[in-house]
Amino acid sequence: MMQELDQAVTIGATVPTGFEHTAAEEVQEKLEATARVSKNRGRIYFDITTDKLLKVHQLKSLDNLFVVVKEYDDYQFKTTKEEVQMDWEELAAKLPWTNALAVWKLNNSIKKKKGCRKRTNPTKSDQCDLEALEVKRNQRDVSSQPENDSEEEKHSEIQNQESGVTPLKFRVTCNRAGDKHCFTSNDAARDFGGAVQEFFQWKADMTKFDVEVLLNIHNNEVVVGIALTVESLHRRNITHFGPTTLRSTLAYGMLRLCKPQVSDVIVDPMCGTGAIPLEGVMEWQNSFFLAGDNNGTAVSRSVNNIKHILKRTHDGGSSSGLPLDIVQWDLCNLPMRSSSVDIIITDMPFGKRMGSKKKNWELYPLCLREMARVCKPGTGKAVLLTQDKKCFLKALSQMEGLWRKLHTVWVNVGGLHAGVFVLKRTAVVFGPTSVDVMEPHTATGSQK
Amino acid sequence: MKLLTHNMLTSHVKGVIKGYPLIIKATEVKVNELEFNGQFVSRMIPKLEWSALIQAAGWLGQSQDLPSTLIPDYENDEEFLRKVHRILLEVEVIEGCLQCPESGREFPISKGVPNMLLNEDE
Repeated sequence: MMQELDQAVTIGATVPTGFEHTAAEEVQEKLEATARVSKNRGRIYFDITTDKLLKVHQLKSLDNLFVVVKEYDDYQFKTTKEEVQMDWEELAAKLPWTNALAVWKLNNSIKKKKGCRKRTNPTKSDQCDLEALEVKRNQRDVSSQPENDSEEEKHSEIQNQESGVTPLKFRVTCNRAGDKHCFTSNDAARDFGGAVQEFFQWKADMTKFDVEVLLNIHNNEVVVGIALTVESLHRRNITHFGPTTLRSTLAYGMLRLCKPQVSDVIVDPMCGTGAIPLEGVMEWQNSFFLAGDNNGTAVSRSVNNIKHILKRTHDGGSSSGLPLDIVQWDLCNLPMRSSSVDIIITDMPFGKRMGSKKKNWELYPLCLREMARVCKPGTGKAVLLTQDKKCFLKALSQMEGLWRKLHTVWVNVGGLHAGVFVLKRTAVVFGPTSVDVMEPHTATGSQK
Repeated sequence: MKLLTHNMLTSHVKGVIKGYPLIIKATEVKVNELEFNGQFVSRMIPKLEWSALIQAAGWLGQSQDLPSTLIPDYENDEEFLRKVHRILLEVEVIEGCLQCPESGREFPISKGVPNMLLNEDE
C-alpha cells in the first residue's frame, strides 16, 4: 500500500453541550492540538495531521466526528429560495472535496482496523439531541466469521467505489439555526444534495449511504463536512442499558471537572448501570471508584458492564481487576465512615423519568447531608447532575454552609435542561443540627 | 469486595455505636492482579484505618507479616507497599457476609457485591 504523506486536516466534533471546554482540554492534552469552541454550541474544531486520526477516535469527550470540507465565517445568503438553490449548486462545484474525501477513505480503513463490534441498541434513547449529525440507524451485527457473504459484498463494493466503478451512495444532513434564512434545513439538504449529486454523479440514499455530507448553518456561519463516525461514540462502555443510562461522553466530561488525583476515593452513590464509575476507572486508573445503588437490577447491570469491560481489556489473559467496587446501599443512610471520601460524583434522579418531583423535595436534602457527612471537610468535592435545579438549589441553601458552589455547567440531557453543579465541601465539621433533632425519616417514607 | 472498600464500610444499624469494622465471613475469595502504583499505595495509607485493615487481612488469611502499627518511612519501602497493594486491591471477597460487630446483623456479599440495605424495621 502506498504510503501517503500525512495530510493536514480540520476535524469537527460534536460534544455534550456545556462541555465544550473540557473536550478542548482533552484534545490539547492527548493530541497537542488547540481546539476552537464554535459559537454553535456543542461543537469544537481542531487541526491535526492524518497520522493522528486513530487517536481522535479514542478521545472520550467527543460524540460524533467529521472532517471539514470548508468553513465560511460570513456566508451571505440570498433572499429567495431560487437564488439560494443556485448558490448551493455553484458551491458544490467549487468546494475543495478532494482532501476531505481522502480523509474519509483513510477513516474507513481505520474503522475497519478498530473492528466492528456487536452492539445492543438502547431500548430508550436519551439522545433527543436536535443535532441532526446523529445517525439513528442500527449498527449491523457482524458475525464472528470473518467473511460472511454480506461483509464480502460490502467490502468489494467499497473497493469498486473507491476505484470509481460503482457510484458512491450519499446523503446530506443539514442543521440550520438563525432567523434570517428564507429556507428550512430540509430545503437546504435537498438543494445542496441535488447539487452534490449533480457534481459527483453519486446516488442519493437516505439510509444505506457511504458518505454523509454535513451542512451546518448557524446564522452566517456555514460549515460543510463529511461524517467520520457512523454510530455515536457515546455508548462505549455500556452494554447493559437501564432506563436512564447516562452518555459516556457526558460522564467523562463530569469526571474531568473533578480532576481526579492519585489515590482519590471517588464515590457514585446512585450509580444506576454504572456509566460514571466505569468511564472513571478506564481513564483514571490511579484513583479508586466506589459505586452504589439501592436497586438490585441496577447493581447487577453495573456488575455485567464491568465484566464486559474486563473481557475487552484482558481477552485471553489472566483475570485482572479494576480499582472499583460496587455496593448495594441506601444513599440517605450510607454505610460509610465519615470523612472518608474525596469526590462524590453522580447523576441525581430527575423526577421526570425516574423518581418524582415530590420525592425530590425529600430526597435532595437528605442525600446532600449524607454526602456532606462522608465527604472530606475542606478538601472534598462533589459534581452533581440534576434537572430539578430549583429543588437542588433550595436543598443546598439549607445545608448550613457544608457545601460551597464552585461553578455550574448547563447541559442538555435527552432534551431536558439540566445542571452539573460543582461543589466544594467546606471545612465546617458535620454535626448535629436542628434538622437532626427532628424525627428522622427516609426518602421513600415507607422504609424506617 | 476489596479490602480497601471494607476499610470504609461501617454498620449503620439503628442505635449501634461501635459498628466498625464489620467482621468478614468469606466463603469465596479471589485474588486478581492489578497494576501496582507505589504512589497510590503510599498516599492511600494515611487515609486508612490501619488496624482494621490488618484485622481484615487476618480474617482472610492474607496477613503476609504486615505490622500491626505502621513503620516510619514506609513510603520508600517498596516491598512493604507491594504487600499493602495486594491486600487493598487484589484480594477480593466474592461470596460471604459482613457482620455488624455490635448487633450481629449480617449483610450478605454475593458476586463480590455487599448488600447493605436495612429492612423497614431496622
